[in-house]
Amino acid sequence: MSNGFDSAHFLAGFIAEAEDHLAATNANLLSIEAAAAKGQPTPRQVRELFRSLHTIKGLAAMVGIEPIVEVAHAMEAVLREADRAAGQLPRGAVELLLKGTRAIEQRVQALSKRKAVSPAPAALVSALAALRQSNAQASGAAASTSLPPELWSRLGAAEREQLVQGISAGRRAWLLRFVPTPARAAAGFNITAIRERLGTVAEVVKVVPQSVAATDDAPGGLAFALVILTDAADALVAEAGAVAPEELTAISLEETPAALEEGGPDDDAVDDPRHRGTVRVEVARLDDALEKLTALVVTQFRLGRATAALRAQGTDVRALAQVLAENGRQLRDLRASIMRARMVSVSELLERVPLVVRGLSQATGKSAHLEVAAGKAELDKAVAERIFPAIIHLVRNAVDHALEPPAERAAAGKPEVGAITVTCFERGGNQLELTIRDDGRGVDAVGVARRAGAPLPTSDEALLDLLTRPGLSTKTEVTTTSGRGVGMDVVKRIAVDELGGELAMRTTPGRGTAFTLRIPLSITIVDAFSFLCGGETFVVPVATVEEIQEVDLDRTVRGPDRRRTPRGESDRRRGTRGTDMIQRRGEAVPVLRLDEIFGLASPDTSHRKAIVVRRNGEPYAFAVDRMLGQQEVVVRPLEDRLVRVPGISGTTDLGDGRPTLVLDLIALGSKLMAESVTGAGA
Amino acid sequence: MSDLHVLCKIGETDYLFSAADVLQMESYSGATRVPGAATQVAGLVQIRGRVVPVLDLRVIFGFPKIEPTLNSRVVVLQQEGRTVGLLVDSAREVLKIPAADFQPPPPVVVQQTEGMVKAVAQRNNRLLMLIDASKVIGEEQPHGE
Repeated sequence: MSNGFDSAHFLAGFIAEAEDHLAATNANLLSIEAAAAKGQPTPRQVRELFRSLHTIKGLAAMVGIEPIVEVAHAMEAVLREADRAAGQLPRGAVELLLKGTRAIEQRVQALSKRKAVSPAPAALVSALAALRQSNAQASGAAASTSLPPELWSRLGAAEREQLVQGISAGRRAWLLRFVPTPARAAAGFNITAIRERLGTVAEVVKVVPQSVAATDDAPGGLAFALVILTDAADALVAEAGAVAPEELTAISLEETPAALEEGGPDDDAVDDPRHRGTVRVEVARLDDALEKLTALVVTQFRLGRATAALRAQGTDVRALAQVLAENGRQLRDLRASIMRARMVSVSELLERVPLVVRGLSQATGKSAHLEVAAGKAELDKAVAERIFPAIIHLVRNAVDHALEPPAERAAAGKPEVGAITVTCFERGGNQLELTIRDDGRGVDAVGVARRAGAPLPTSDEALLDLLTRPGLSTKTEVTTTSGRGVGMDVVKRIAVDELGGELAMRTTPGRGTAFTLRIPLSITIVDAFSFLCGGETFVVPVATVEEIQEVDLDRTVRGPDRRRTPRGESDRRRGTRGTDMIQRRGEAVPVLRLDEIFGLASPDTSHRKAIVVRRNGEPYAFAVDRMLGQQEVVVRPLEDRLVRVPGISGTTDLGDGRPTLVLDLIALGSKLMAESVTGAGA
Repeated sequence: MSDLHVLCKIGETDYLFSAADVLQMESYSGATRVPGAATQVAGLVQIRGRVVPVLDLRVIFGFPKIEPTLNSRVVVLQQEGRTVGLLVDSAREVLKIPAADFQPPPPVVVQQTEGMVKAVAQRNNRLLMLIDASKVIGEEQPHGE
């Protein structure tokens, strides 16, 4: 290596790792927000967040992506202080941190697309810095104590500072409890009295009333926690507090902040089971392995043919045939192993769904509780990428259209918070079933029918048919979140037409709707050229094509043909069956007219395109009418033996709802050669 | 066995399929040709996201081919895990014909149709032929693979 540093390799690693940490960051931010709504502290999540951002910052610095370093640094600083404050994030922090995460995500995406990375958003960075200052003022000292978090969180900034400074100055801090009872009240011990008594021997930092389970010891269901600082002897304090000396709990300073800063990004990776024993692999490498395996399968096929030829000559090939069969099994197993390596976990795929729901709830003013239960289901990466927009679409629709505003829900006797669940499980037959369910208002069949200009559907199936009509909208006004509510047709296109799956719906007015997607666990996706020949459209995988060139069929050289024609008749079209040839870089390449091979009628033009493929090192050119374009297509194998034909590897849907044939021109070339050698058609 | 049967026509002849074998009926406006496939294969159609081969019943029964019309239907059959469509001139009615109304076909018909006609029934002076779906779409042959 000349520069001693492979930056492209590093960059790919950075992108992959950053994406992992960003996903974790989003998940943690959302759970912090959820916990904050219930008043629960979240020290663990804050710490994990800190580590994720610390790692992102470090990695970004290593590959020199300054804007990411800057944003991550600003976020990390906020989190460090929150961690010192026992996981208390200042007001508005989650919002800003989510924005920061988004800013980093955008820059990582730009990197992965090899685009320029925009500078750090200055407003965001300064807002984060401002947050830090207000946080610093609010939490006072940047240290924590051994006080239980539920008490620590009840202390104001000044009280925390008072306590921390007191302990730092060498005073003893105690936590003690006072439980009022009728007996104690009769003896003159109420909380005011205790407070006054303690005030004579100690500094009362805070008195926190707490509700406790009502028992004989605490008949009022109430207790008081008192936090005090003192120089007085323990016995005196206990006496003043009307407790036994052993009931005093010492409060000490916590060392956590320092430990946290020392903890590098690496030691947490070990704790995370997801990362244990895993290697990140680019999908392209797996595809490459699969492609080489396909070549191996072709070789095995040829071996089988050679064996059959031997058998035909009377050779004993039993041992060879056994090895061949064993070899075939091993190849199938190997293929299955490679396919398994392409699987991604569905729960990881759905990691972003909570973020979407959160954003939508905010935008629409509806509150929604999302539950995702994906279990251990896995899906081929290619399927996952294709189905994800459909899932997001259904979730969006659920929040945006299905869930009613809180007031309407309350009036209908439902909980104000809407429930959305996403569940999935593996069905038999290589299928995954995904259900997106809401407890909203249900699909308005009357409205849908009116808009579609169709009679009122009598079943959920018929209603779904209407809903998935292209361009149908049930909303007149444009909402910013789901556009016009269009897109159920897109969901159907992806799940049904493209992936060959199913889409089903159950809806009950006022009770909610469930959409169920059944999709194959794996599919074959290829980058393909589409072209016209004899008035029909075909596609051919780009990987099999060596070149596409112009060919003038009036200027080709025709070879003589000494063979008898297969059915004893001459080719009416050209008079002879000799093969056209073209010159290509000093090589004579046979030109096969695909329209003739397929028995199609081509427009009478001699200027065509030729698709050049190579079989066993020999080039062949297939003349076609016109190239149409290039796109990724999902190839669905032809399963029925009636349509299993050499040269046709499957079908795809180019978007017109009709099957388009996917050609294997190399196999077609082989078949034609085999026929011309034996002199018989099929 | 259910008594329900799907009635379809080729020319003026009536054929029946047991409704239990029929998955659905779809209108037909052409299929994607499969070059190299057997002559009775009209092509491939996509029905509810599923790619289904369509056989031309006219070709199987030795009638001349015709252009599809508005009445043309694909009767989608399900047999032993296979899903295959049959192209017919029209398919409109579902008839209830009890098993007792069927008679075995004359031996010469059995022979000529290679067992595709399972039974015959009379209705309103018309002869209805009950077709063996599995024979028409052809049993799956054990293949080299």
